[in-house]
Amino acid sequence: MKKTIYIITIFAFLFLVIFPLLTMVVSSFFKNGNFTLEHYLYVLNKGTLFLLLKSIGLAFAVALIATLIGGFFAFTLTKTNLPMKNIFKLIFLIPLFISPYIIAVSWVDFFIMFGNGKLFIYSPFGVIFILSLIFSPLSMIIISSSLANLSARFEEAGLMMTTNFKIITKIVLPLIKPAIISSFILVFVLSISEFSVPAFLSVNVFTTEIFTQFSAFYNYDLAVANSIVLIFICVSLLLAERYYLADAPFLSMSLKSHKVKLIELKRSKYFLIFIHFSYLSLSVIIPVLVLSIQSFQGNEAIFGKAFSLLSVNIINSVFYSFTGAIFLLFFGFVFAYISEREKIKSINLVLLITFGIPSTVLGIGLIKFFNTPILNFIYSGYWIIVIGYLGRFIFIAEKLISNTIKQIPLSFEESAKLMGASFFLRIKKVLFPLISDGLFGAFLISFIFCLGELGTTILVYPPGTSVMPIKVYTIMANAPQSLTSAMSLIVLLITLIALIFLFTGHKILTKQKWSLD
Amino acid sequence: MAIVSLQNISKSFGKTPIINNISLDIEEGKFTCLLGSSGSGKTTILRLIAGLEKSDSGKILLNGKLVNEKNKILLPSSKREIGFIFQDLALWPHLTVYENIAFGLNIKKEENVTIKISAILDFFGLEEHRNKYPNQLSGGQQQLVAIARSLVLKPKMLLMDEPLANLDVKLKTKIRNHIKNLIDQFPITIIYVTHDHYEAFKLADEIIVINNGKIEDTGSPEDIQKSENTFVKEFIEI
Amino acid sequence: MKNIKQILLIIVLIMSAWNCSEKSSNEVVVYTTVDQIFSDPILKDFEQETGIKIKALFDTEETKSTGVLNRLIAEKDNPQCDVFWSGDPVRAIILKNKGITIPYNSPAASDIDDNFKDKEFHWIGFSARARVLIYNTNLLKSEDVPNSIFDLIKEKYKGQVAIANPLFGTTSFHFASWFSSLNDETAKQLLTDLKTNKILIATSNGDVKKRVVQGEIACGLTDTDDAFVAKNEGAPVDYVFLDQDDLGNLIIPNTLSLIKESPNSENGKKLIDYLLSRETEAKLAISCAQMPLHKGVQVPVSIPSLDNILPMKIDYNLTAKKLEEIQTFLKSWIEEN
Repeated sequence: MKKTIYIITIFAFLFLVIFPLLTMVVSSFFKNGNFTLEHYLYVLNKGTLFLLLKSIGLAFAVALIATLIGGFFAFTLTKTNLPMKNIFKLIFLIPLFISPYIIAVSWVDFFIMFGNGKLFIYSPFGVIFILSLIFSPLSMIIISSSLANLSARFEEAGLMMTTNFKIITKIVLPLIKPAIISSFILVFVLSISEFSVPAFLSVNVFTTEIFTQFSAFYNYDLAVANSIVLIFICVSLLLAERYYLADAPFLSMSLKSHKVKLIELKRSKYFLIFIHFSYLSLSVIIPVLVLSIQSFQGNEAIFGKAFSLLSVNIINSVFYSFTGAIFLLFFGFVFAYISEREKIKSINLVLLITFGIPSTVLGIGLIKFFNTPILNFIYSGYWIIVIGYLGRFIFIAEKLISNTIKQIPLSFEESAKLMGASFFLRIKKVLFPLISDGLFGAFLISFIFCLGELGTTILVYPPGTSVMPIKVYTIMANAPQSLTSAMSLIVLLITLIALIFLFTGHKILTKQKWSLD
Repeated sequence: MAIVSLQNISKSFGKTPIINNISLDIEEGKFTCLLGSSGSGKTTILRLIAGLEKSDSGKILLNGKLVNEKNKILLPSSKREIGFIFQDLALWPHLTVYENIAFGLNIKKEENVTIKISAILDFFGLEEHRNKYPNQLSGGQQQLVAIARSLVLKPKMLLMDEPLANLDVKLKTKIRNHIKNLIDQFPITIIYVTHDHYEAFKLADEIIVINNGKIEDTGSPEDIQKSENTFVKEFIEI
Repeated sequence: MKNIKQILLIIVLIMSAWNCSEKSSNEVVVYTTVDQIFSDPILKDFEQETGIKIKALFDTEETKSTGVLNRLIAEKDNPQCDVFWSGDPVRAIILKNKGITIPYNSPAASDIDDNFKDKEFHWIGFSARARVLIYNTNLLKSEDVPNSIFDLIKEKYKGQVAIANPLFGTTSFHFASWFSSLNDETAKQLLTDLKTNKILIATSNGDVKKRVVQGEIACGLTDTDDAFVAKNEGAPVDYVFLDQDDLGNLIIPNTLSLIKESPNSENGKKLIDYLLSRETEAKLAISCAQMPLHKGVQVPVSIPSLDNILPMKIDYNLTAKKLEEIQTFLKSWIEEN
């Protein structure tokens, strides 16, 4: 039974995601039917190598800054008794719910309104600035869940001997090092493959090169060859991580309540609140404010118009993303289980490659593979969008789930097995209840990512339908700024409402009396 | 006839050999201790008997029936009628004491589940804790729940992997006495893994001393105490 | 187990039902790079008037129409689309060269000038946009406004002119038009001089417009629709046609192509006929200042007409060919500092 599920899932994934990608990769090694490395050698010229270095530099800076910022706030919001920290925590996440492109637009507009800083924003520093603001919430989630999982015992043990500051540097930091490195790598991969922000700020990077090959030269093979180089970098980063941290959790998402040792803030409280407000105004208030000001510059009916434009897409969007998140949860769970319990770690590498592949390559691969008379039923329906989500985000879902599985001792399942419980029963009665919070977290993050996906969806969505991010994107050209801004605000609002719904649903369904400690 | 028989069993994890061509017999109804330092391979032997690991080579017979040959499991763990007490006890944290014990009974579709559970809770003096979650119990109580959970299924043998490792001295003595009591009440084969030779001497009928995946010596506690084997001598001196 | 299977079955059934419910036989699939805000109302009108269901796929020049064009190319072996409505001839010509379109000489276009049609009728032009110079009225007095492309290389406009990335869209065609109407040498020199004069390369025509509107830069080359919309929104901008004395101003028609082996080609032809009508041209004139190519279509006074501007005389097919030749040159032109 177990094996059947493994086999079905793996084959389904091969068929849905890997084969379409492979057709693209294979064809990049051929020209006019002959094997050639020409496309790859082309990448190795001075210009592209320079761009590659620039991209690596940018991604490195963003990863560093986002991890520092995210780490700092993860610390203050998890390990201190700062007032209002739960509210802060929630608001900090908002940049994740707005499309990076929109955030970039609102920042540029802010600097223009401000009348200064134009040189800054239209430069690599501007890209670093905006991407760091966008990705630091992600770092915060990763690091704070690791901090929350840190049992108070370790610090209490240290407290007998030394000061708070020493405990942080000597005990806490080393213990959460895996999370810090995870955050760094994830942000690095996300920023090196980010296209919309550098493109909007006229900063040439490696992804712009890939885009140019796609959209000016229609040279897929070269574009794929370029992306393979990008993936190569991401994979070597992951391997380096593996080398240093044999099996440390990559990303962990446990909402479980451990006893967390809180640091009592005294006078520094006010100073810290000030810092939190300042950062919030930078990362959330300014972009949202700019969008609001722009919306209200239009006539009063603008929100009504924006809503009516979006209204047909809301249900579609939420439904597709919901389906996508369920699929991601299923595939993510099976792969996580294979990787954690069967110890087949190479699965992570395959998933990372799918994550590193640019969304456009995935989109074209899906079209070429599924747009045949036989598979038309998949291609012409909305399933193709869900497959796109699967390919784009399975890495993240699998990582999140595998780290929650990692926290559950194998003996829990083994003892059930010895009592005669079947694979299904073990999963259903033992593992699922124990990781339900982690699964929910993975579901939520998958859902948010699906809801904002643009790069692949725009290539595969069926004619006559649309989803929210595409509607905003296609309407953006030549629509009054007030309309676009109003639409972005509505999308943000809908995302928040959907999240609140999911959260309350989860709260009602799982009232937890037990704990792992 | 031996209830468990290992014949030329070898097992390695990756390139590290854990068990090195071991053969041993365990007699029915006896309390057998696998004694050895950590990393000696004693836990792995337990897991092989339970069917939680596959051997690389050799045979395992339970009750004369071949259950594992070379790297194939012929009888899955669930059908071996074995109770297993894990080092971390593996009490399911999301289930109450009652639910933990009921789990196996429900799978086996047994009747009179409530009565059976009440009886075993009573035997272990756990009746008042039946609706508590494991994290609300003391270490000793958790220990007893784990044993009760296994015994309620009436297994042919009970495998225990350092169950007392995390307890303080007083509790250890108490639980040890409980276990002694138990054997008198339930005629059951016990294979008990420990690194503590005092424990082995107190509990065991038969001791098997393991080092680096090999058997150094076998015998009754008295035999082992008088052993001429250099490793055994050194080990029990500490 | 049984329950799970039943639930799964029900879910699958619901999902496939959802999938099928949107299928109908009397439909036409159109992919367009024309901004949704302008194209959607016209497609809705067609739907209402004919009862043929429109399934539209929108993209935007802001994203270089990557979605639609790459999709048409990737779908070549199993076309899903009937009609491709492009905002410019470049993309239509690319598709023709890749063997994705088939000829259709719509009777509705009989009085449109042959210069705006493919010789083999793989595409037919209608409603044209022009490339214009948009300028910020706060930054440039009307007498200071450049009136030739060659003015842009003058010292006084140094760092004051923006243009979209010439690898894409109408801007790429604009550049190619200099190569086909002037000679290669002059055109190359022009580009070099523009670069020396610190021309700003924006990401898109919309971006050029936005930067001029916000006063970030004095003027820039963009399309009529962008300039028209900005002016209508009350931004401090105006626009002029360039080179009205000799070279002429580049005119870029919308184009329509019928896709080869398309699923609903009969409906596709109906849609093409509809879009080529005078009524459509009139609507596009009002919504985004596109100039009708049929003679005598009534348009509001504020909208420019081909009767009073001097168009640049180019062969569209030749220009498209030129574009392909100069693309690598353009790429290095952008990258050099």
